[in-house]
Order: sequence, then C-alpha cells, then structure tokens
Amino acid sequence: MPGDTVVIAGIVQRRADPAEIARGEYRVRLHLDHLQSLLGYGDRVDRFAVGTRGAAATADALSRINSAAYGFRAHRSADIAVETSRTFAVVSRFHRAIGVITIVASAIFLLCIMLLKVDERRRDVAALRLIGCSTRTIVGSVVLEAAAVAVLGSIAGVGVGAAASWIVNQHYQGVYRTPLRFSIVTGDIVLLAVALSLVLGIAAGWLAARRLVRTPPLALFGR
Amino acid sequence: MIITLALASLVRHRARTVLAILGVAVSAAMLLDMVMLSSGMRESFRGLLLSQGFQLRLSPKGTLPFDTEATIRSADSIVALIRARPTVEAVSPVLGGQLHFPLAESMANATALGVEPAVQGDYELVEGRHPSAENELVANDALLRALGRSVGDTIRAAAGYDPQLRTLSGQRVLRIVGRVRFIYLALEQRAAALPIGTLRAMNGPTSIDRASLAMVRLRPGADVEQERTALERQLRTVTVISTAAALKQVDERLSYFRQLAVILGAVSLVVGFLLVTTLVTVSVNERLGEISVMRAIGVRRWRVVAQILLESTVIMIVAAPLGLALGLVTARWLNSILARFPGLPERIDFFLFQPSAAWTALGLLALSGILAGVYPSWRGASLPIASTLRQEAVG
Amino acid sequence: MTDIVDARGLVREYRMGEEIVHALRGVSLTVSEGEYVAIVGPSGCGKSTLLNLLGVIDRPQSGELSIAGERVDRLNDARATEFRLRRIGFVFQRFYLMQALTARENVELPLAEAGMAGTERRDRALELLDYVGLRKRERHRPSQLSGGEQQRVAIARALANRPALLLADEPTGELDARTGAEMIALFDRLNADGTTIVVVTHDEDLARAAKRVVHMRDGEIVA
Repeated sequence: MPGDTVVIAGIVQRRADPAEIARGEYRVRLHLDHLQSLLGYGDRVDRFAVGTRGAAATADALSRINSAAYGFRAHRSADIAVETSRTFAVVSRFHRAIGVITIVASAIFLLCIMLLKVDERRRDVAALRLIGCSTRTIVGSVVLEAAAVAVLGSIAGVGVGAAASWIVNQHYQGVYRTPLRFSIVTGDIVLLAVALSLVLGIAAGWLAARRLVRTPPLALFGR
Repeated sequence: MIITLALASLVRHRARTVLAILGVAVSAAMLLDMVMLSSGMRESFRGLLLSQGFQLRLSPKGTLPFDTEATIRSADSIVALIRARPTVEAVSPVLGGQLHFPLAESMANATALGVEPAVQGDYELVEGRHPSAENELVANDALLRALGRSVGDTIRAAAGYDPQLRTLSGQRVLRIVGRVRFIYLALEQRAAALPIGTLRAMNGPTSIDRASLAMVRLRPGADVEQERTALERQLRTVTVISTAAALKQVDERLSYFRQLAVILGAVSLVVGFLLVTTLVTVSVNERLGEISVMRAIGVRRWRVVAQILLESTVIMIVAAPLGLALGLVTARWLNSILARFPGLPERIDFFLFQPSAAWTALGLLALSGILAGVYPSWRGASLPIASTLRQEAVG
Repeated sequence: MTDIVDARGLVREYRMGEEIVHALRGVSLTVSEGEYVAIVGPSGCGKSTLLNLLGVIDRPQSGELSIAGERVDRLNDARATEFRLRRIGFVFQRFYLMQALTARENVELPLAEAGMAGTERRDRALELLDYVGLRKRERHRPSQLSGGEQQRVAIARALANRPALLLADEPTGELDARTGAEMIALFDRLNADGTTIVVVTHDEDLARAAKRVVHMRDGEIVA
C-alpha cells in the first residue's frame, strides 16, 4: 500500500468545537503539501480560512473574493457556525422545552405545598381573626413569610444550580475530552430564575392566604 | 370503613386534593417522558434497523455505515461469497453518492443510493414501481418537489460536478418510475435510488465494483453473532456490525439523552415524593386528635397507617391516567423538537411509547408515593395517646 | 364480687420543660364489678391521668394495675390496643366522633376492628343506638347532631364490644345542664344494667349520681 513514515512531533488538545463532540475518530495534522502528496490531491485544498481586521474589512473581502473567484464561494465564519450548530440549536430548544415544563410543574408543586402549609396554620389564623386582626394583616404576614422563603430558596437554588453546572461541565469535559463548556450560568439566567421563583412563591402564598381568610373563623376551628 | 374515612378526608379538602392530584400527575408525566426518552431512541432505532429484516451490515474496515466516503472494494465477489452461505437469505449491496440535476436556473442536488431493487432494504414504494432498467430511478417527495417532476417524467442527472469549471460528469437521462419513502434518511433530505450498476457507471472508474454498504438478511434460526464473527474472519477488508453493535454505537453517541432522562426522572421522583410526604404530614397533623381516638378505642396502629396511606394511594390512582395522558402529549411535543436533528432518519422517535415504560413510570411513582406516606403516617399513629389527646383538647 | 380494677401504688410523672410534674404519687384503687365510681378533685389533681392509666392509653412509671384480672401496666402497644378494643370502653369530653362517618358507622368502627361480619355488625350498632335512643338518627353525621346526641353516640361506640369497664372523662363537660341531666340518667341506666363505670368529673350532679366518690388532690387519693 502506498504511504510514508512520519515522526510524531506532538500531541494536540481538541478544540472547543461543538461539531467535534461525541466523534470518536482519530485526527492527525500534517504539513499541507505532505498530505496533498499522500492523497494524490495535487494542488487542491478543501477550503481556505481568511483572517480580516474588522467587520468592514470582512464584508469587503467577502464581496471581492466572490466576484473575482471562479468555482468557489466565500462565507462568513459566523454564518457557517450557524449552519453547523443546527444540532445544538435543536438540543437548545429541547432544553428550553424541558425548562418550560419544569417551571409549570414547579408552579403547581409550589401552590400545592404552600396551600398545605398555610392550611396547617388555620387555627392560628382563626384565633387572629377572632381577636380582630384584619384579613389584610393576615394575608400580608403570610405573603411576607412566603417571600422570605422564596428569597432563601432562590439563594439556595442559585447555589445548587451553580454547583450542578460545575459538575455537568466537569463530567462531560472528561467524557468527551474537550474544553467545551456544556453549561454556563449567566447573570441573565440567575435573574430569570430568581425572579420566577419569587413571583411563583409570592403568588402561591397570596392565593393560599386569600383562600384561608375567606373561610369563617369558627369553621377554621372546626365548629 | 377505612376506605370511607380515606375518601371522606379527601373530599373534605377538595382544593388540596385537586392540587395534589395535579402535582402527582405532573410528576407522573415527567417520569413517563423520561422513561420513554431513556429507551425510546434505542428501541426506535432497533425497530428501524430490523424493519426490513437485515440483521448484519458490512462497511469498509474500521468505519460505520455511511460514516465516511470510504467504499468496499471487490464488492461483487464479496456479495457473491456471502450469498453462497447456506445461512444467508439475502444480501443487499448499497453504493452511496450524489446526483446533480441541472435545472433551468439552478442545480438541485440529492443523495443517491445505488441498489439492487429486487433485494433492496432502503426504501418503501409509495407510488409506481421499482427501477428495472438501467436508466430508471425512484425518488422521494422532497426531490420530486425540488425538481418539479412526478412519476413517469424524465430528468437529466449527473454524478459529478466540478464547481471550479462548473462542468457535470457522468450525465444520463433517467426516467422516474416510482415515488418512495427512504427508511434511513431525514424527512427533508432529497434522495433518489437507482440500479447500483447505473450509479457505478455514472461515477466512473473509481466506483467500479464498489459498494458503501452491504446488508445481510439471515435465514430464520441462524445465529446472528456466529455469522457475524464468521464473516468478519473470512472478509478482512470489511467490518461486520450486528444490530446490537449498531445500537451500542447509537447509545454512545446519544448517551447524553439517556443521562438527562435518568437525572430528570430522578428529580421528578424526588419532587413527587416530597409532595406526598408534605401532603400526608399535614393531613396527619390536622387529625392527631382523631388518630389518637382511633388508637384509644382499640384500632390497631397498622390500620390507622393503612387508612392514611389509602388517601395518598387514591391520589396516585386518580393522578395516574391524567399523568399518562399529559406525558403522552408532552412527549409528542418534545419529540417534534428533537425530530429536527440534522440527518436524523425520519422514522426515529426519541420518545417511544411502550406499555412497559408506562408501567415502570407509574410503578416507580406509586412505590415512592407509598414510601413517602409511610413515615409521617407511622409517626402520627405512634404518638403517645394520652398526651396527644390532651394537646388536641387544649389546642 | 370480683374486682374489675385493681390498682396499686401507681406513679406517673411528666416532664414539662425543665419541671417534672408528679401527676400520680402512688395511687391505689379497686373497683368491683358493677360499681359506679366518680373520681373528683381540683384541676391538675391527676384524675384524668388516673383514668388514662385505667384505660390503658398510658403507662405508669411504677406500680401494678390489673383490669378484669389481667395485668395491663406492662403490655406492649399491640396487646394494649387489643385490650382497649375488647375490654375497655372510653367516653371523652369532646366526643371525638369521626366526622366523616354516620352515627351508625361510628358505632360500627370498633366492631369492624374486632372482626365482626357486616350484617352482624350493623345489627349490633343499631341495637346500641336504640339503647341510647338514637336509632332514628343512625344516618346522621356528627355535624348534624347536637352535643348530647354526639355524646350518646360516643357512649354507644364505647359499649360496642361489651367492655368490662366503661371509663368517662368529663362526659358532661361540653353539655348544657338539661342535656347533662339526660346523660346522668343514661349512666344510671347503664350501671343498673350491669356496666362497671368510672367517671372523672367536675359536675357535682354526676358525682352525686355515682355509688362511690373518690377524692383526689395533688396526685393522691385523699378520700
């Protein structure tokens, strides 16, 4: 079989390229002319990469290459990235869908648990009503408590989320031997999560409290 | 009596019961989806691989079918050798390539599969017939739409296209004799199938006696693994993959989804568990007096616990079908998102419903629900009777 | 006459925060079969504690207690429960009927627990309701019954398994004077029909109706 003997000059680390994830293939890098001669390609390449300085220069180079060249096209790297990351676009949509389901499920769980916990305090609420506390005071105190729990829960949740994100990255970077980051916790995400949990927690507390204060106090005592 | 007490308690707190049912149903739905996800891809792919009955696949040594552009050399003699084996029922050689169709103002490209129509396992005929002559082809809807053609029309096609010189090579005029659905290709992937000899001729000398893949169907009763080993030993230039091995490859490539399914499934179970525990705890705390009286008049502890657990069991039973329906709806939605994976065969489902999946999910949830209720109900039924009665009287 | 209750040197203490409360300080008491005994004394004297020990719903720290000839002071939970089911009938101040069950079903509850078959159970329950004058109210739930009616259902429930001893803790405590008098008359009838009764009460009329009055103070029997 035709071939050549080479010396392994170094070992390279994989790039953080999403398109290379889960591909278990072997990769080598050679001098271009060496590979061309091994493949019998002659003076051929698959593609050129062109570096430019600034967006204006990129646009100018793009139009000049495409109008001058014959038989090939130039593309912006960003446009190609969009195309090659379709897989990850799908995965991203999937994650978002899971996120939506999680939020809906959490809202239901939260409302259920809040209702149960507020219900537990029915006698306290009844006693307060009987001694003259307004429904506004009672609802306010329950909502305040729910808000406090929501704030503490959010803080704990952000901590858990950050830890989970770190674990995910450590795990998959090890499995796929890549520096690619699989999970990133950004300020926006934290803000969204905290805002959602506060809104859900307070809303659940308010709904549960409103339900309780609408019941006559003696009924709350079980009479 | 215990059933009456359990049901009455649930009816007494309607809002709480409804919310608990909803909560458990959502848990059940998520759990079902995750169980479906963890095995769906695999089972769907297995079904796909076995749909035409081919148990073994041969590809160039060291590669997976259609993973690279490599081809099997001396394919005809290899196919003949395999067909001579008494355990082999059929062998279908496939050559992969590209066809370019020059249109008035543009060029349409399509995946081309060179097959032996009599034994092929790559497409299902929807309209027309299989190609029987060398200048005939069949195409899928995506290609026919792009070409603006239908069954019976002719079209000029080329196997090669030099973009620098903008010239076509290996041109032929082919007649479209059938409309087909390709089993292993993505929904919108334009594709055509034609006799393997025709595609080889169009490709030129480099494709003579070549194939990208050969699929082997064994006779009933043949040992798949034994045949695979024998073929691999006999044919040194090919890799022989059984369905099991192919599935293993798929598992590795898509292990992420299985892991995600396990994690989210576990989270659903934990949340469902917490919900039921909270529900039972609150329910017990509200009825400590009643529970203590039952104990005082001689009702045995396990009967008290059974009555409390019955409440959570009723919630599970009512929530289960609701969760099942919800799970199927969300699975369809999630599946439609994942179906857009580039290059994914049209027929692959990530969420495949199997009755065993439903039973597994519901069984897990029921078990966790019962376990969740055991501790708080046992605790409530074990409180000292006298002091509890005293506290409840004062409270 | 056999002794239904034979209590010797019963001691019961409770921890209330840092303090130890000596509820019973070596109480001894015998009650013969067919007796009707009232235990009276100021609040906190230990009379309810004594009743709880006699009802085998609490255990003494020391001393000996036999009910209907059986030692009950060291029974494990399962055997104590069984004993309460078959040998003791307990009537509480606050009735403690199951709100979700009808009057008949409340009376059937201990019968079902004792393994009595459906029809037999039903008949026995109706017989007991008839005895307490509530046959016509068998389908009513506790919320549809007056205080006196609820207490009568509770008495019927206590008599379900023909107990050797009927215990009542302030049975007229939640009732008005007229209803209380009806209850006293019922207890009289029960005793006349052979039921051994021990009541704990602040009600002077009820105490007077009993055949023997035991006075307690500071955890001891003083008369």
